[in-house]
Amino acid sequence: MPHRWGMAADLDRCNGCGACVVACAAENNISTVGAEQAALGRAKHWIRVERYWEGEFPDVRLKFRPVMCQQCDNAPCEPVCPTYASHHTDDGLNAQVYNRCIGTRYCANACPYNVRFFDFFNPSWEKPLQLQLNPDVSLREVGVMEKCTFCVQRIKAVTVQVAAEDRELKDGEITPACVQSCAAKALVFGDLNDPESEVSRLSHSPRGSKLLEDLGTLPKVTYLPRDTEA
Amino acid sequence: MDRRSFIKLTAITGTSATLASCGNPENALIRFVPDDEIVPGIAVWKPSVCPLCSAGCGLTVRVMDADAEVVRNGQAGVVRIAAAKKLEGGPLHPISQGGLCARGQAAIQVTYHPDRITQPLKRSGTRGDGQYEAITWDAAIAELLSRLDALAAAGNQKALAFATRAGSSHRHALVDQFLARFGAPGPVSFELFGDQVLRRANALSFGREQLPTFDLPNARMAISFGADFLGTWNSPVAQAAGYGQMRKGRPGIRGAFVQVEARMSQTGANADEWVPATPGTEGVLALGLAHAILAANLRPAAAAGRAGTQIDGWAAGLADYAPAAVEKVTGVAASRIERIARDLAERSPAVAMVGGAPLAHTNGLFTALAVNALNALLGSVEQPGGLFFTPRITLADGAAAPAAPSIEQLASGILGGSNAVQVLLVDGSNPVFTTPTAWKVSEALAKIPFIASFGSFLDETSGMADLILPDHSFLESWIEAVPESGSIAAVASVAPPVMRPLHQTRAMPDVLLDVSRRLATPVALPWETFDQMVGATFMKLAPAAAGGDAWGDAQAQGAWSGALPAGLASPPSVTEETPQPVPEPRFDGDAAQYPFHFLPYPSSAFLDGSLAHLPWLQEMPDPITSAMWSSWVEINNTTAERLGIAQGDIIEITSTQGTLRAPAYVSPGLAPDIVAMPVGQGHRMFTRYATGRGQNPVSLIAPLTEASTGAVAWAATRVKIARVGGPDGSLIMFAGGDREHPYEDLGRG
Repeated sequence: MPHRWGMAADLDRCNGCGACVVACAAENNISTVGAEQAALGRAKHWIRVERYWEGEFPDVRLKFRPVMCQQCDNAPCEPVCPTYASHHTDDGLNAQVYNRCIGTRYCANACPYNVRFFDFFNPSWEKPLQLQLNPDVSLREVGVMEKCTFCVQRIKAVTVQVAAEDRELKDGEITPACVQSCAAKALVFGDLNDPESEVSRLSHSPRGSKLLEDLGTLPKVTYLPRDTEA
Repeated sequence: MDRRSFIKLTAITGTSATLASCGNPENALIRFVPDDEIVPGIAVWKPSVCPLCSAGCGLTVRVMDADAEVVRNGQAGVVRIAAAKKLEGGPLHPISQGGLCARGQAAIQVTYHPDRITQPLKRSGTRGDGQYEAITWDAAIAELLSRLDALAAAGNQKALAFATRAGSSHRHALVDQFLARFGAPGPVSFELFGDQVLRRANALSFGREQLPTFDLPNARMAISFGADFLGTWNSPVAQAAGYGQMRKGRPGIRGAFVQVEARMSQTGANADEWVPATPGTEGVLALGLAHAILAANLRPAAAAGRAGTQIDGWAAGLADYAPAAVEKVTGVAASRIERIARDLAERSPAVAMVGGAPLAHTNGLFTALAVNALNALLGSVEQPGGLFFTPRITLADGAAAPAAPSIEQLASGILGGSNAVQVLLVDGSNPVFTTPTAWKVSEALAKIPFIASFGSFLDETSGMADLILPDHSFLESWIEAVPESGSIAAVASVAPPVMRPLHQTRAMPDVLLDVSRRLATPVALPWETFDQMVGATFMKLAPAAAGGDAWGDAQAQGAWSGALPAGLASPPSVTEETPQPVPEPRFDGDAAQYPFHFLPYPSSAFLDGSLAHLPWLQEMPDPITSAMWSSWVEINNTTAERLGIAQGDIIEITSTQGTLRAPAYVSPGLAPDIVAMPVGQGHRMFTRYATGRGQNPVSLIAPLTEASTGAVAWAATRVKIARVGGPDGSLIMFAGGDREHPYEDLGRG
């Protein structure tokens, strides 16, 4: 049976620190755009920590929620792409093939989660910052749409290794950069087709819910809400 | 080297090499021979230690081949190097436990920063204008030696001052030993957001002058008085790991969490119950909780032991702190105080934390002692689910240098003529940026005849240096830390260099050892190299397995942790002094003229501003506001409405110390009489990414201090505000909105 990659985010553990945001930029060669372009809404963060206020002082709450591509099984970004740059893989990822992408940005318009980012410029790293680049991840050029891949390069590296060693994949063996960095262990990644995996267990939790589930996008990221009981 | 890269090298370097080295091009080329231990395309992981704060987290560094442009003796070339690619938390490290904060992830940009100082520099312009010329290491060290020799010849060794950051490491111990044997006072360390007040209180209450470690995984309840323990305070990665465990690590048990603070921090946002208390009254609230516990006979007063004796009226049941009286002072309802007190006593084990703004008042010591007594009453001191003190390792045997003056005393001594400092050495500290203007640190430094910096970047302080001897980055040198907290067992982090130096830099500890030997009257330090000094400590530690090698294992894993041999443990601190802590806070600025409390706070991205040069952190959205590349002022939404201030409007904040203008972030998350501002931006000089960006709130801070420690009471300034204009585009936010359902809410309203 093929793998089916999914993630769970336990919002009772997530404290909003933002480590996952920088970990993602480091792993995936996401270029910084600078203040002027950021002011135009062109900053790229494949994962972000959403924060929403509730109530008024002094009975005020702030809720954090890490949001990345939800890797929908019924992904609105896919059918709108004229070049099949945005397409579904056998293991359930919404893949983005950069060298097919012609930059129509239809996918970003269709995505209800705002997790797709357009490259308005060729990336630049002022020397020697280019030495930090991860050679396993391609650089995106101007006119291309980019987004969270669940760190497909890490998935590939481990699955190839597992195949070479002719053994079963161990749960927790693959960690996308955001999952790896999380000190509170709020993010869990794994194979949803493995009923024993931690991510399967959390995805079936009665606490679990999906983001904008009613749109019918069938996301593969499950959110476990913060407990309100003190 | 393969044929192709040989041709590439000669194409780039051949001509100049031939010209420069007069017929011996092979002598020049030999420097560009690549590392041979790296296999192209294959990653290796090496341990290291994060240098960005004093938590001392262990790292694991992904190293792969890369083509680096290097300059060797004035010749440019491309060489294949083994380059650090990514930093992650060391999976087996007792502090980081596999995790790493956002700042630690970005630390790699320190090494690869485009504005790093790549070789020794000598000032060529006027002081402070940032004009330097390149010199050789020989010339730079000769210059430093001549200055130190001149002091020694005149018998004026006391006129050497050394400014460092606070922290616990062999590097600090080496500086201290050098100064002691040279005959100079000890290092002057200053941290705006330092924890001297809490250390002093812990010495008084528990006999341990250090920061505590919290056993959150076993706690059933935690109450934090202002401590941003999941964001910027103490050992945030270890504490975040413990917090995750406390919330969800035990089947059927979810630890409760209450945060007391007047502005909702990233940490406070996670609390089950968020309790805004009047600034400066947090200690009164802690004693109110203690009173309620005592009055309900949930714990005996004697249970608090020594920590209780530090509090006036403790044995008599804290008669002055009845809930109704405490409500008047703190603004927290009496019934709420009684309920939280009962929860704390019943949900054992419960632990109290205190840090940040509550201790940054003139009565900070009182507040810390009050929370300590509450902890002792709850029975949480050195008990599972409570607080612990990491056993300290003695780092060097020699006598310590005599205590140095504080940076405030140093500056006033220089300006007043009582302290004629002739030579100042600066290592990693930027007091010009982080001290209150009224201390006149910048003016004082301008009077020092010679300043040398070991810094890797030009900032407000190192930009005043006459000589710069740039340090290696942490990835290029031996790096170590002996964390003060974050682990219940003793821990020491250490790692050898991860990669070869990119630039013509030298490790500061080795430069210091070199200088100590080459002085006209050498300073006798018992180590040839820094790693020898570090190794000497580790070789005394117990190996994990019998017959093992603690030094070798520590280098391979990035840390040693375990039980300390008897001779190596630092003894508990003995404090005979019994200060009379004052419960009432004092504020700078008349309340009628300056109606708002001003709350500067360490920014999630930049801490005290020392990390504002890292582009990833500049572009990371702030957890509370989602702002990037910006300064902002947080103001309560009802107050903003009253004053006609909208999101992004420019407001002017004035204290008795000065004025600044910054955009408003309108928020429900702080009290109506507070304006809050993150520290970190507003650098006059700090690389292309931070220079001239935003405002530095430290410029508004009045020079009030906590009396017993001299620590800046950075939360004790009052300000007035005025709207001076509409949005100017300087508030750059990543998020579109602050509320999840604004339209539905409007529809219902």
